[in-house]
Formats: sequence, structure tokens, C-alpha cells
Amino acid sequence: MTRCLDEGKLQSYFDGELPIDVMESVTSHLASCAACAAAARELEEESALLTTAFAAEFEASVPTERLRQRIDEAVLGDRVAYAQSSQKSGGLAAFFSGLLNFGTQRALGYASLAIVLAIAGIFAIVKMRTTSELANTAVNTTVPAPAPAPAASNQTNNTVAQATEKTSQPVPETVKLPVTVRPSHNNGVPAVAVKYTPAAPKPTPIKLLPGERSYLQTIAKLDSTIKSNKNSMRPALQVEYERNLAVVDRTIAATRSAAKSNPNDPDAADFMFAAYQSKVDLLNTIADARVGGGRGH
Amino acid sequence: MNGQARALIESMPNDIGTEAVGPLSFDEAFTLHHRAVFRTARAVVRDSALAEDVTQEVFLRLYRNLNSTPGEDLLRAWLLRVTLNVARNTLRGQSRSMVRDNEYHKSTSETGFFVDAPEEDFERRQAIEEARRALDKIKEPMRSCLLLKQQGLSYREIAISLSLKETNIGSLVARGRKEFARVYGKIGGKR
Repeated sequence: MTRCLDEGKLQSYFDGELPIDVMESVTSHLASCAACAAAARELEEESALLTTAFAAEFEASVPTERLRQRIDEAVLGDRVAYAQSSQKSGGLAAFFSGLLNFGTQRALGYASLAIVLAIAGIFAIVKMRTTSELANTAVNTTVPAPAPAPAASNQTNNTVAQATEKTSQPVPETVKLPVTVRPSHNNGVPAVAVKYTPAAPKPTPIKLLPGERSYLQTIAKLDSTIKSNKNSMRPALQVEYERNLAVVDRTIAATRSAAKSNPNDPDAADFMFAAYQSKVDLLNTIADARVGGGRGH
Repeated sequence: MNGQARALIESMPNDIGTEAVGPLSFDEAFTLHHRAVFRTARAVVRDSALAEDVTQEVFLRLYRNLNSTPGEDLLRAWLLRVTLNVARNTLRGQSRSMVRDNEYHKSTSETGFFVDAPEEDFERRQAIEEARRALDKIKEPMRSCLLLKQQGLSYREIAISLSLKETNIGSLVARGRKEFARVYGKIGGKR
């Protein structure tokens, strides 16, 4: 005779939770053990009682439709909240994090973009050089023989300042723009003033481009400041200054002609303004240096 | 719901929809298990309105954890585990009120959820109350074992729901059953 069944095993037997071989052994034991058989009968009665006791609880109707409606609404609210939070967080931060999140395809895209930009840059540089060379050629062909004295140059620059100041209000359609392009020369040597629009019997009126006036005014003031300072420039600085000025002036001439011939091209105007800005910067640097040098004397 | 909310939902990706719970969809999970969830919740909180709140919360958690919930075989155990936790937390924050439950039954009767005759409803409610009082006298985890066993859960599901060893469930059910019969007989339920 096998050992009597404990209450857990007997319960598992009634609940069908035992393996088949154990079930068979329990069945045979119950057939031969009166005590366990009595315990099994008691278990059956109590289980029936339990079922009856809970019947009312579990048979009470469940508000299925109401629950479904409530849960649908709650889920919908959850989804709306999720969508709204996604929208909020999907602003600039998400945009930039997306940009920085390099996948294979995105990396290829960036590489293609870089190549395109590089080609465009090379093309722009080549085009600018070509334009610059053409402008130089044009300037060289119109350069008169070296002649005017420094005083003449000063006068010319002052004329620029006066002209631009005079024409500040109201804005006239055209003004005379004597732009000087100076080749480099040594200290003490009379500057060679090369007029872009030389003082010809009939000076060609030059139409100012929009935004050009302020640069010209600034340049004229700086130039007059530099000229009015009597302190002589150090020879090395003078050479450097003249050389840089010539380069900047050439650039201004080239970009200006490009901007004039392409009035609808914003890039051309930008290049011109950048050239003007370079000249302003150069003049500022020289003016500062001279003031500093003057203090030293 | 306004048009903007609908537009938002329509523009949302499908991966947060009510698609898969293992092999079951969210809708299937609701259809199969909402009764067990509601009844378990009601047995714990003793309040039909609160049981609705609990059921809603349980299925909302299911929806939010669609990717981490177990498959079909253990989904009911997972749901009832959550149900017991939510119901107990709800109970801590609420005072049980038969008045409120009466009001709930009154309101739901008006909307057709309870269509029994008043005297039948009274008898059934008495029976429910006696069973609940007997169940109250049983200590945990035997009480929860009985509750879940009466809902037809397997020992494995009960073990998962209550974080118990499966091999101990038979003994716990047996001891709970004996205790319930003893208390229920004293109360007068055993007729």
C-alpha cells in the first residue's frame, strides 16, 4: 500500500494538475485507502460549496459594453497624448538629433551633398578668377601712363569722400565714382594713381549699386583719415599696405562689374560687398596701425 | 473627440495601434479576459464602479505594454496579476462603500445592465455578501489562490499571478478551501 495522500496532492488530483502517471497512482490509492477516499469526498463537497458560494459573485453580469467603451476612450486618449507629445518633442531637437543620427543612407546623402558643394565651390572659384583676370586685363588696358602725384591721389580720394557725402541725400541716380587702383610702390615714391574711370573729358557716370554707397562713404572716410595722419608709415608696412590695397581694389572692380552685369544674382552682389568689406577691414587695420605708430613717435 | 484629435490619430504610425499581443490582438485580449479581470477586481474592491476603474486601468496597461506582455498562454495570468495589484492599490485609496455600490447598481439597472427582478437581485446580493465575508476571513495568499482558482486559472497561472511556486498552489488551494468552508458554514452560507 502506498503512502496516504497529502491535501495538496489530493487537491491537485481533483484540479487535474498532476502528471498522468501520478494521476493513475492516486486513483489506485483512492480505490484502496478508505481515509484518503473520505478526504476526497470531503474535498468534493467543499469544492461544490465553494462553487455555489462564488456563483452569485461570478455570475453577476459584467458590463461588457460599458467597459469596452471606457477602455476605447482611455486608449484613444492615450494615443492622442502620445501623438501630442511626439509632436512637441519632434521639434528642433528631433530635427537636429535626426541630422546627427547617421545611417548608411544618410551618410551617403551627406557625402553626395559634400561632393556637390565642393564642385560648386571649385566652379565658383574658377569663374571668379576668370572674371578677375578679365577685369585686370581691362584695367591694364585703360591704365594711363603713371603720373599723378600723391597730392593728386589725395585730392582724388577727397573727391570721392565729398562726392559720396554730398550725394548722401537724396540719392541720385548716378554719381561719379573715381575708383583708384594703385599698384604697389616703394615708400617715398610717388604713388601711381590709376583711375578706373580716369578724368577723361567726358567722365562716364557710374551707377551705384544698392548698398554700395555706405561702403564707399566708409572707405572714403578711412582713406582720408589715413592720409590726414602725417606720420609716415613704416616702409615694410607701406609696401604691404599698397600691395594689399591693389589686390582688394582689383577684386572690387571685378566683383562690381560682375554684380552690375548680373543685377539679379544675389551672389554677385554678395561677392562685391565682401570685397568692399575687405577693403574697409584693410583700411581700418592700417588706420589703427598708424595711430599706434604715431603714439610711438 | 474633436477633429484635431482624430486627425492626429489618423496621422500616427500603426506601430502603436492595437495590433499584436503575441498571437492575440488587443481586442481579442479584451474579449477573452475582460470578464475575469472585472470579476477579480470586483471581488477585491467590492465595488462595481471601482472594479470598472480597475479594469480600465488594467487594459490601459496592457495597451501600453503590448511589446512586453507574455503570449496568449500566460496573458490571463499577467492580466490578473496586474488586476490584483491595481485593485489593492485602489482599495488603499478608497473606502469600501456599499452605498456607492448600491447607487451603481441603481444606475446600471436603469441602463439595462442589471435586469433581474428586485427580489432576485436582493437574494443574489446577499449571497455575494456572505461569500465575500467568508473570503475576507481567509489569509493571503490562500484567499487569492481560491479566488483565481474559482475563475478557472491553472496552477501555473495562479503561481505567476501571485509570484508563488507552482508546486505550492495545490496545498494553498486545499487549505483555503477548508478554511472557507468552515467560515462560510458559520456565517450561514452552508444551507
